[in-house]
Amino acid sequence: MAVIHDMMPAFELFQPTSIADTLTLLGRYRGDAWVMAGGLDSFDWLKDRIKRPRYVVDIGGVAELKGIRASGAGLEIGAGTTLTEVVRHPVVKEKFGILLEAAEAAASPQIRNQGTIGGNVSQDTRCWYYRAGWSCYRAGGNICYADTPTAINREHAIFDADRCVAVSPSDTAPALIALDAKMVIRNLEGERVVDAENYFIGPGIDITRMNILQPGDLLTAIRIPDTWAGAQFYFEKIADRKVWDFPLVNVASAMVANQSAIQRIRLALNGVAAHPKRLVEVEAAVTGKPRNEQTAEMAGRLAIAGAQPLQHNGYKLPLVKNLVKRAIRGVEGSWTS
Amino acid sequence: MSDKDMADANMMPERGVSRRAFIKGVIAAGAAVSSTAYLFRAPIFGQPGAPGAVERLITLNVNGQMRRVDVMKQETLAMTLRYKLGLTGTKLGCDRSECGACTVLIDDVPHYSCSILTHSVRGRKVVTIEGLAGADGTLHPVQQGVVEEQGFQCAFCMPGFVMAAVGFLKVNPNPTRAELAHGVSGNLCRCQDYDKILTAFMRGAEILRRA
Amino acid sequence: MAEYKLIGKNYTTPDLVAKVTGKAKYAEDYRAEGMLFCKLLLSPMPHARVRNIDAREALAMPGVKAILTADELPPPPPPPAPPPGQPAVTQPPNENALTNEPVYQGEPILAVAAVDETTAADAIERIVLDLEPLPFAVDPLDSLRPNGPNARLEGNTYINRELKSLKWTEKDFSDATDGRLPMGEAPDTFSIGDLEAGFKQADLVLDETFLTQSTTHHPLETRTAMATWQNGKLHLYCSTQSTVQTVGNVARWVGIKPEDVVLISEFTGGGFGSKIPGSQTMAIPALLSKKTGQPVMMRISREEEHYIGRARAGVQARARVGFRKDGRITAIDVFTIQDSGPYGAQGDYRNVGIMASLAFQPMAMRWRGVTVLTNTPPRAPQRAPGGQQMNGIFDPIVSKAARKLGIDQVEIRRVNAPSGKATFGPPDPKTGKQGYVTSAFVREALDKGAELFGWEAKKQYSGKRRGSKARGIGVSVSPFNAGSTGFDGLLIIRPDGMLQVQSGVGNLGTHSVIDVTRVAAEMLDMPWDRCEVQFGNTSKHLPWTCVSAGSQTTHAMTRANYAAAMDAKKKLQEIAAKDLGGRAEDYDIGNQRVFRKGSPGSGLTFAQAARRAIQLGGVYDGHELPKDINAFTTRSATALAGTGLMGVARDNYPHDGNTLSHVVAFAEVEVDVETGALRIVEYATVADVGTVLHPHSLSGQVFGGSMLGIGHAISQRWLYDRQYGMPLAKRFHYNGPPTILDAPANVKFAALNIADPETPVGARGVGESPVGAGYAAILTALADALGDDVFRRTPVTPDLILASLELGHGSHDALTTNV
Repeated sequence: MAVIHDMMPAFELFQPTSIADTLTLLGRYRGDAWVMAGGLDSFDWLKDRIKRPRYVVDIGGVAELKGIRASGAGLEIGAGTTLTEVVRHPVVKEKFGILLEAAEAAASPQIRNQGTIGGNVSQDTRCWYYRAGWSCYRAGGNICYADTPTAINREHAIFDADRCVAVSPSDTAPALIALDAKMVIRNLEGERVVDAENYFIGPGIDITRMNILQPGDLLTAIRIPDTWAGAQFYFEKIADRKVWDFPLVNVASAMVANQSAIQRIRLALNGVAAHPKRLVEVEAAVTGKPRNEQTAEMAGRLAIAGAQPLQHNGYKLPLVKNLVKRAIRGVEGSWTS
Repeated sequence: MSDKDMADANMMPERGVSRRAFIKGVIAAGAAVSSTAYLFRAPIFGQPGAPGAVERLITLNVNGQMRRVDVMKQETLAMTLRYKLGLTGTKLGCDRSECGACTVLIDDVPHYSCSILTHSVRGRKVVTIEGLAGADGTLHPVQQGVVEEQGFQCAFCMPGFVMAAVGFLKVNPNPTRAELAHGVSGNLCRCQDYDKILTAFMRGAEILRRA
Repeated sequence: MAEYKLIGKNYTTPDLVAKVTGKAKYAEDYRAEGMLFCKLLLSPMPHARVRNIDAREALAMPGVKAILTADELPPPPPPPAPPPGQPAVTQPPNENALTNEPVYQGEPILAVAAVDETTAADAIERIVLDLEPLPFAVDPLDSLRPNGPNARLEGNTYINRELKSLKWTEKDFSDATDGRLPMGEAPDTFSIGDLEAGFKQADLVLDETFLTQSTTHHPLETRTAMATWQNGKLHLYCSTQSTVQTVGNVARWVGIKPEDVVLISEFTGGGFGSKIPGSQTMAIPALLSKKTGQPVMMRISREEEHYIGRARAGVQARARVGFRKDGRITAIDVFTIQDSGPYGAQGDYRNVGIMASLAFQPMAMRWRGVTVLTNTPPRAPQRAPGGQQMNGIFDPIVSKAARKLGIDQVEIRRVNAPSGKATFGPPDPKTGKQGYVTSAFVREALDKGAELFGWEAKKQYSGKRRGSKARGIGVSVSPFNAGSTGFDGLLIIRPDGMLQVQSGVGNLGTHSVIDVTRVAAEMLDMPWDRCEVQFGNTSKHLPWTCVSAGSQTTHAMTRANYAAAMDAKKKLQEIAAKDLGGRAEDYDIGNQRVFRKGSPGSGLTFAQAARRAIQLGGVYDGHELPKDINAFTTRSATALAGTGLMGVARDNYPHDGNTLSHVVAFAEVEVDVETGALRIVEYATVADVGTVLHPHSLSGQVFGGSMLGIGHAISQRWLYDRQYGMPLAKRFHYNGPPTILDAPANVKFAALNIADPETPVGARGVGESPVGAGYAAILTALADALGDDVFRRTPVTPDLILASLELGHGSHDALTTNV
């Protein structure tokens, strides 16, 4: 079969208006169904004719999935809420500024106007071998094209590779982990709530998926507890371009510290593994330590322990080290001249 | 569009017989709804009666007009606008939500029309570059700013850029130059005269505030 | 400087309202009754031979109308005639729209036309292709190694215009140490002066290796085309840089006579060198339309544009440069390896030598080069071909020398700057003399730029750090070709008194299609609102015009329009003398009248003169035409004859020297040494481009061209997997053209506006020289911020900066391309 791109093959389209109808459709078509939220990731696969679902379930019209509301001690963000809505929400700005920064760092204005927070965290990897339709491990084959001596793997993983060296490209995911967010997942059997850091999975668990969603599952909401409201936040994304680019590495942290010591902290990275990576050891090591250059230096060194660079991504080690340092001790602003 | 409109588009009076002769037979965009077969195929998997099932014949609100149109399930808004409704001002630069040439307003918000299903905009207000100027031809202030500053070069990116700017200014009518740059940063220009684009849009914003 | 009413003034180009309202029609905006769509089957392999195509299943599908294969195309154009006295050469098949021997992944093999695009795409998937894989190479040095692969069965390089296999020895490679470029046999060379004597005078010699990347042009409009046939004539709606000059190519590619081509390209969405003469693939819808009897639209996708849309030839270079204590360059010895893609040799690598000889005026110089074929997309000139690469290779060396010698970066460029009729390039083999430019005012541009940018004040930031932020400032002098001569102007003063100027220039965004016609209006003292410009459609009868490329248009077509205006003026004077007595030279023109000198109210209006011209016939209304105009112009003028007073003439004005423009650029950057993130704080340019025609166009061209160079400096990439010979960075977010937020926020611009002495209105082209200036101003600023030797290749992305600063090596060396 000769290959052709840029023309979506036909599919049957469903545009349910309720979560119940959505779950019915997902339950009916299981693995044959493709959930489309903002569609920015989906269209890529469909236009390249690499993923060819029979049924596309467009959840963009499900009002229940949209909006940001108070939820106990915290916020509940519908999975179908656009990134722009997240960025503009006053409570997000007031209490969870790190999520605003992360959401605003994603993609471009138009994508943020349409792309959802659920889609941003659940999107597939951008590994170009995999996205080009090569039959790699993640695509069901038995080779990783990105992990050869001549492969182009500047963007790829330095942690937790297992056959596949792809990375998670999400900007909001590490921020949600830093905020200890909970992911609400529903299917026809009911609802379950998982910690954000457990929502994402590496190739060792399932090499074909980036998160725990199974056929029939729908991410319906993200809950952010007040645990870290108003904490000291740090988010930084390093990319080739200042807009419309995926992170080479990004870092997100939430910290509560007084003048003498860091009292508690959550710290996560993305762009370094197939899943956003929470730095539990670093968090433990800096807790109780003064917030200074020495602690930051120690945190940076610890952050790269166990990293295994590929041919072309050794730079990610100093980058991770420095970003973690900055998350701990901050960074001076630009010159003004 | 008629021959006359095509000549207008070139802003030059039509001269000579031969041009008219060769245009004969070429039906320009507006009349093409029924004649261009682009993407007109029956769906392969029918599931009538399922929750959320969609009909092919839908009504769209485009530039203030209600338009009946036959839309395939996998059809994007950009394709419908360009190939079904004759609105070729919306450009396809990448068809992958990366360049912004296809930007239109949906309920006043800029979207990449290459990356939204036409079926998703039922009941929503779509505005394209053709819908900006007044019925009497009065340019929208952002368009006027471009004209006054001779903004853009090849202008293939311009319709999308203008729509992004118009959408941004609805929310931020008085931006700094840097804020405006952020607002239209979802649009690529390969002639890359970004400086003059911003100057033109700042001028447009100023005219808009005065209006 | 002459006082002009139109030249040098801003105005609104007459096509702008159509552009800003979406009415402007680009190729994909045309529709025709019964229009079919075609899709391409692209080679999945970097090099292969088509053994068999089984399209039976595809052709049996409802709605599929035709298939077109390489066998059905006219033969590709023969190789160019050899220079006098040299034998005819054997060359591999030249590029054609479709091929049975694809030489890069993505090369079109066949096309299918169907009633809609979905059907055409589905049909492509049902075609069974039997391909025999062939050896491939995607890196020039790999191909030059002993036993390295050749991109073509016939060889890997051109030697005396013939495709040959060239391999270097193991020793050639092992002799190159410390990451320096190996230098084996180089078939191409030129020398200026005594190189050894030059190096003997040097107090400092630097020896540096640098890699400039290949990049796809990626105009925002892809090379879409729609074709239909009427009365035996092909009507082609296409995207091309050059309206008139594309006609002959289309005729050749389709296999018909130029007279049978009607080419419509009213608006083109950019080209940058990739659409100079159109695109060979335009033959596909033309031939499918002929075959099916229906119009055919070929919509080219962005990914297809990446393959067939042309690319800049990357150059790897090793340069030894000798400096005197005062900064004067005594000698340059530069060795270049060019990645030429799979077809013809490009001129970029040679331009590296030629432009260096101009920008730095070395007392002696040697250039050597080898062009190597690779199985990557075809190359074409990209805005400043070779000029941009030259600035990247040399400007960091010159700035490094300045630091070592304790000289200011601007001063060292002033010391070496070309001035007046500066010589450059290889000496003529017969006379031993070098060519020279028509004029150069680089020192003036440097002085003006330093003031505009505030160079002296900014020197306090040079190389300074605050926290993790390092600041640096840089400067570059960039020359490039800026004009040709010998084309035709054609205009009509109509009986309604309007001036109608025929412009065969492509409307590709530079505004030159209109700007150059204002010279005719100026010389005839016509108010602009009494002028019309005809363009974008060869059935409008356009004159023989230069290609809209090589920054030629402003120079070439201001001359041609000047000539046509002078011809019209002469005819106005002659008609007045005939009707009103006296000699022609007793009459002057102005205020839309031809009048007896001294009494502006006398004489004839232009409208009256136009009517008289039609009555008189002969030369006056175009029934008799000059003998020296091009046949293309003769056909157009003949069609327009009798419609008014015709001005028609070839540009025969004298021209002493080669026309080149110079742009100097200054940049200030800030780099975060902890993350590699960089920001361009300020950017300033000064253009030495002769008389300014249209200030808005000029500043836009200079900044836009600068941004193309800046993109090469900081983000634009071209990536290949070497094991499989496959491109990876096919999408914008992978190949990284700069966005509006990557552009410098603070931009300054000035033009010297000194008329070139060798052309009537003194205007030269500007499209290309800003590219190298932008590229190297950023690179020299980055080196100033980070220290010398931090990078040896571009783009300088965060990973490269960090790997170099923190790991002691760049992510990639300067010896490996396409990574």
